[in-house]
Amino acid sequence: MDRALERTKILSNHLVQSSSRQILSTNACLSYSPPELAEAFDFDVKEMRQLLDGHNVQDRDWLFNLIMQSRLFNPTKRGEKVFVTPDFNLTKEMQREITMKRIDYLLDRGVFQGWLTAKGSQAELKKIALQEVSAIFDHSLSIKIGVHFFLWGSAILFFGTKRHHDKWLGDTENYVVKGCFAMTELGHGSNVRGIETVTRYDSSTGEFVINTPCESAQKYWIGGAANHATHTIVFSQLEIDGKNQGVHAFICQIRDADGNICPNIRIADCGHKIGLNGVDNGRIWFDNVRIPRENLLNSVADVSPDGQYLSSIKDPDQRFAAFLAPLTSGRVIIASSAVYSAKVGLAIAIRYSLSRRAFSVKPNEPEVMLLDYPSHQRRLLPLLAKTYAMSSAANYLKMIYVNRTPQSIKTIHVVSSAFKAIHTWHNMRTLQECREACGGQGLKTENHIGHFKGEFDVQSTFEGDNNVLMQQVSKALHSEYIAAQRKNKPFQGFGLEHMNKPCPVIPSQLTSSTLRSSQFQMDAFCLRERDLLSRFVAEVSQFQAKGQTKEIAFMQSYQLAEDLGRAFSDRTILQIFIEAEATVSTGSLKNVIGLLRSMYALICLEEDAAFLRYGYLSMDNAAAVRKEVMKLCSELRPHALALVSSFGIPDAFLSPIAFDWIDANSWSSVHQ
Amino acid sequence: MAPVTSQDQVLEEEVSYVRILSLNRPKQLNALSFQMVTRLLELFLRYEHNSNVKLVIVKSIGRAFSAGGDVLGVVRAVKQGGWRLGAKFFYDEFILNYLMATYTKPQISILNGIVMGGGCGVSMHGRFRVATENSVFAMPETALSLFPDVGASYFLSRLPGFFGEYLALTGARLDGAEMLACGLATHFVPSSRLSLLEETLCKVDSSDPTIVSTIIDKFSQQPYLKDHSAYHRKDVIDKCFSHRTVEEILSSLERENIDRPDAWISATIELLKKASPISLKITLRSMREGRLQGVGQCLIREYRMVCHVLRGEVSKDFFEGSRAILIDKDKNPKWEPSKLELISDNMVDQYLSKVSDEEWEDLKLPARSNLPSFAIAKL
Repeated sequence: MDRALERTKILSNHLVQSSSRQILSTNACLSYSPPELAEAFDFDVKEMRQLLDGHNVQDRDWLFNLIMQSRLFNPTKRGEKVFVTPDFNLTKEMQREITMKRIDYLLDRGVFQGWLTAKGSQAELKKIALQEVSAIFDHSLSIKIGVHFFLWGSAILFFGTKRHHDKWLGDTENYVVKGCFAMTELGHGSNVRGIETVTRYDSSTGEFVINTPCESAQKYWIGGAANHATHTIVFSQLEIDGKNQGVHAFICQIRDADGNICPNIRIADCGHKIGLNGVDNGRIWFDNVRIPRENLLNSVADVSPDGQYLSSIKDPDQRFAAFLAPLTSGRVIIASSAVYSAKVGLAIAIRYSLSRRAFSVKPNEPEVMLLDYPSHQRRLLPLLAKTYAMSSAANYLKMIYVNRTPQSIKTIHVVSSAFKAIHTWHNMRTLQECREACGGQGLKTENHIGHFKGEFDVQSTFEGDNNVLMQQVSKALHSEYIAAQRKNKPFQGFGLEHMNKPCPVIPSQLTSSTLRSSQFQMDAFCLRERDLLSRFVAEVSQFQAKGQTKEIAFMQSYQLAEDLGRAFSDRTILQIFIEAEATVSTGSLKNVIGLLRSMYALICLEEDAAFLRYGYLSMDNAAAVRKEVMKLCSELRPHALALVSSFGIPDAFLSPIAFDWIDANSWSSVHQ
Repeated sequence: MAPVTSQDQVLEEEVSYVRILSLNRPKQLNALSFQMVTRLLELFLRYEHNSNVKLVIVKSIGRAFSAGGDVLGVVRAVKQGGWRLGAKFFYDEFILNYLMATYTKPQISILNGIVMGGGCGVSMHGRFRVATENSVFAMPETALSLFPDVGASYFLSRLPGFFGEYLALTGARLDGAEMLACGLATHFVPSSRLSLLEETLCKVDSSDPTIVSTIIDKFSQQPYLKDHSAYHRKDVIDKCFSHRTVEEILSSLERENIDRPDAWISATIELLKKASPISLKITLRSMREGRLQGVGQCLIREYRMVCHVLRGEVSKDFFEGSRAILIDKDKNPKWEPSKLELISDNMVDQYLSKVSDEEWEDLKLPARSNLPSFAIAKL
């Protein structure tokens, strides 16, 4: 309304008063003012980065250095700044070739040294850190590396035994062989146990014979298969003497050293995709391909030369679970690289919002900086806080993964499923908000954010569809509940210990200091989780009481299952974030983390309708939360630049609008 | 004899819109003294606010542009008055470097002679660097057990590939043609044309860098890059100096020397082996961080590092280096720690940490405004 009045006034002044020169005079040209010169840094950015990256900071910087200093990464001058970026004008085929060349360069520089041959958690963390950095440059690059090392390589490492390790790991690390991972089929993705590829054993020759019996059994989305891979892991039903022993994994060569496709193998391209076009996803058909008996990855089951099926695990369900357990690494890395993608989006959008102005409050006054609009703060700063919380959660997940024990496998499975889904959904949502927050500039591919939406979208689907994963989380919690009930024992594990305590009570009046206390925040999150879990268990058993199977009962209770999955994830993240905050010594850094933690907690309270739906918060409570979110926005605003600088993403990996966008768009830079 | 004042150490000439500053301590090869730094700082600040000044030319009297900071002066100061007295010199020097890097008017440095260490600091950050056939560039700090400071972690790390690591770790020398090839110099002008160049520049009445560039272009020529130039060895340099640690860099050079033995590689290995191990380690770290930071952040970090060097908590190599190279001149320093393997990451981390001294403060960068895009990009 004010704006309309003001416009009317300007117009009427213009029409009535001929002497309104002041209003008609042109403003001085806009000039870019770097946010660094205006914004204060209240805490040590390096210390914060150490906390966020968590590990291998120097190794990360080394890889950033390697990428920046090579022509292969397409360094491009925009104005006075140089950015490294994939070349967006390349065709799909050219993108695949340049991605492979970049990998060759990194290989030559020793980046992959020890990725499969070095043992221990330190080596694993280093590899994950470097993988995260590669994704900041280009998701295709990181996925192409990931398929080779974390799918093909890990399959050999975890499903194979010494004979496979000796033969393949060294050659994989040096890219003497290029591996891919053929699990998904046209007809089966999430449901791996339903795949239709069949492998039979021929004891007369001591070979396995792999076959694609029908079109829906063709291997689909196999990264690396279309152009480069020489070998693949094939997931297939194993049939011995007419009896199906379930899904097993085999090594199969698909190309010779010169890149020619092997006999009895047919390969086709998956075609152009909405993102990741630097990855050569292909389709594979096996026409009775013969492979040596030794190519069965035999960590859980083997076939003797005379064709006897041998396995120490008799139950096929358990066998399958034991088999797939090591594949968690993929979800761990996806969860953490989703956070880095969100960091890139936020760093660009927030830096832009600190240099871009729009509309003056009063005529002839300077226009208002985007991030000084409370509404703009509300769009970006809660996402920033969530990214911080999830960054901390991703670090926790990495740590429990690299320090895994047989006892922690189940927890890792549940937590990685939850975080993979929550983090990748958060990333997509953040990118969309950041894209819009940058206005038209967000639409330019060179500004990364819009491009990242296409590149990272796949994260919600591969390595387990997010919705399916979240259902698994709820099911796991369900069985914990049932087990605790049946054994009449307290809850232990998955952070559910709070269920053993009395039900928390939310005060009717919420003051600012209550809202910001971690005790209240945890109480609210725990209340939601425990109530949803009991409701879910009750609803499932109601359906079962009516004679439905457990499976149908789960299906029918999907609404509560979804709410519960989110409640578990949010509570776990908050708990981890509070613990991380506790490790920081008192000072400005801790204060800012406290603000972020409160923002994270309160925005979850505001966003999830479950809090009001089930009455965990009263309407008055919800109004108090909403007000506090606004206050937190204004308190975080002065730290915005420092908070995105702490992400440690070098300037060259951000984009022109994050810096002097006027210079980057000047006439003189047109023909640079 | 009248005392040498700071006015004498930096001569000032005023020609219409141009100011010509000449470093004038020729006997000491124009090594930057505390007075020179203070004087330059004062002049640069004054010119910035004077709309009648459009260009600043920095040149030198004698055969050196500047052989570096006055290390001997610093060592004496530290010995007499404690590390803080030495730190004060670096503080002001780095502030000057920052001012030059973010200067609103073009600075043209005429590098007609030796330009090393602190001499690079007062020239490389400016808009135009003119090399001649007399230029000799080096950042030889690792031999003294300092590290390339004065913002070198910014300007060296931005050279092509890993040439910056090569120059920083070995202290290798470049001639004018090499400086131009790698980008340390923006122009190469034969010394015989310098006076004419200066005369023409003095007619400029604008701060527009394209006008200045066009003028210098007219006097420039493409020098011949000598056959045995290190710049022709860029492939090997990139391959070896891109490694993650100093140890790996050394062993990759040694492997290379076995595969394809050659005098240049042997000499490079020798340079690294002669240098102070701790100094090599902190230099590499500084370069790797510097490449990812703005010039201000680089100088703040380097100031922390230099304070730690002067305090000598982790290693006293700086004083040993100065003794062996500058004072006793026996060229036989005894480094401590004596080997790369004896230096932990923690020890290197210490150099980057805040100094635990109540009176100590981080380098406080002066406020800057109305910066040209050339300067904004460096923040």
